[in-house]
Amino acid sequence: MPSDGTEESRVQRSCAGPPGPPLSDVAHLSLSIGRLFMEFGESARIVHEEIFALAHCLGCDSAEVYCQHAAIIVTLRRGEEFCVQMGKVGEHGVNLRGSEAVSDIARRVSRGDLEYSQAQTELDNIPRTTSFYPVWLVCLCTGLACSAFGRLLGADWLSFFPVLVASGVGQWIRRTMLVRKKNLFITTGIVSFVSAFLAGAGARLSGSSHLEIATVSAVLLLVPGVAVLNIQTDVIEGKPNLSAARGLRVIYILLFMTLGLVAAQALILRAI
Amino acid sequence: MNSFWIHIIHQAVFGGIASAGFGILFNCPPRIIIHCIGSGAMALAIRTGCQSANLNLPESAFFAALGVATAARVLQPFQETRGSIIALVGTIPMVPGSTAAKGLTNLFALLQARPGDEIAAATNGMRNLLEVTLTLAAIGTALAIPQSIYPEASPKAKPLRQKSSSP
Repeated sequence: MPSDGTEESRVQRSCAGPPGPPLSDVAHLSLSIGRLFMEFGESARIVHEEIFALAHCLGCDSAEVYCQHAAIIVTLRRGEEFCVQMGKVGEHGVNLRGSEAVSDIARRVSRGDLEYSQAQTELDNIPRTTSFYPVWLVCLCTGLACSAFGRLLGADWLSFFPVLVASGVGQWIRRTMLVRKKNLFITTGIVSFVSAFLAGAGARLSGSSHLEIATVSAVLLLVPGVAVLNIQTDVIEGKPNLSAARGLRVIYILLFMTLGLVAAQALILRAI
Repeated sequence: MNSFWIHIIHQAVFGGIASAGFGILFNCPPRIIIHCIGSGAMALAIRTGCQSANLNLPESAFFAALGVATAARVLQPFQETRGSIIALVGTIPMVPGSTAAKGLTNLFALLQARPGDEIAAATNGMRNLLEVTLTLAAIGTALAIPQSIYPEASPKAKPLRQKSSSP
């Protein structure tokens, strides 16, 4: 397998229907699928497999995909025709329901259940049509997850509730700032400081003796776990460039998270 | 019930809760949240069991991630969602975010260390970051192994419908 993300089409998904759509439309559809997968937190392997299968089923003889952090390039061939298109990838996040919807559309096109033009419309609508959990539920569950992390790290029960509240508030601030398109790294630093400060102050007021663990647990919502695991997957599967870009971003997120945490700990722990 | 099993159950319960919380944060479909709880609980139970058998964190995380990824791959034919999603969410509680934060904090402490304390601060920071790197490598490798040996097919693919090219 060639390195750096380029890979010849080898996945052969059985497909239905005669070939027909213009090559530029197939390339546009492929780019839309790849872009959404990247933005929804999938590894490069999924992007490559789905684009290869789709291109094959839409009559292409070969497909090449070059997957980078901020862009995707697709080259398709059909007989004497060939088409190269590049698309920009937006902010990387995690949205597993969105990812599942994209997979479903790609499969329906491959099986011949969905016309490519209709598929393009459905893909364009995914950001609007994908359902999300209510904000309060996301904040509550994020708080609960961080409190559970606290218990896993050995924090006492007295710090459970303060960590839950602090992480919930932190998630609400993060969501609010990211919806307003604020810088991701600045947001990370602010959320880390606020969450750690609230958790530490709450744990102190409730008489907990594990203030350090409480402050650390409250910021674990910021650890980009999916991105970290994608780095591993991409390296193992021969996409070092994409992996390096993801890694640099993860390092900066962790750095800003630690800065916020250290600042909050300096206030809370020094006051003891 | 002795303290060993109580500890395993404690870790499994809170691993499951953490997985479910992150499943909601990652906008997992509601029908697989219960699977996320199961995979998180399984991962933490295996990791804790391995650590009790004197394996270090990267080794324990490797076996836990391998167990979860294998289970997700084996059970794939019985579910609609890709098994890799469930394995991914299940292993999130094992991502050593707190150790990474501790490692970076130790490196920051190096800037303020008194003469003579620098080596200890640097050693602690590097040890934490090395542990993080090895643990992440172990989890990532373990997650990739079942997929590499036996790649996932399209979930519950319907029989192909051949369109006639003639009217």
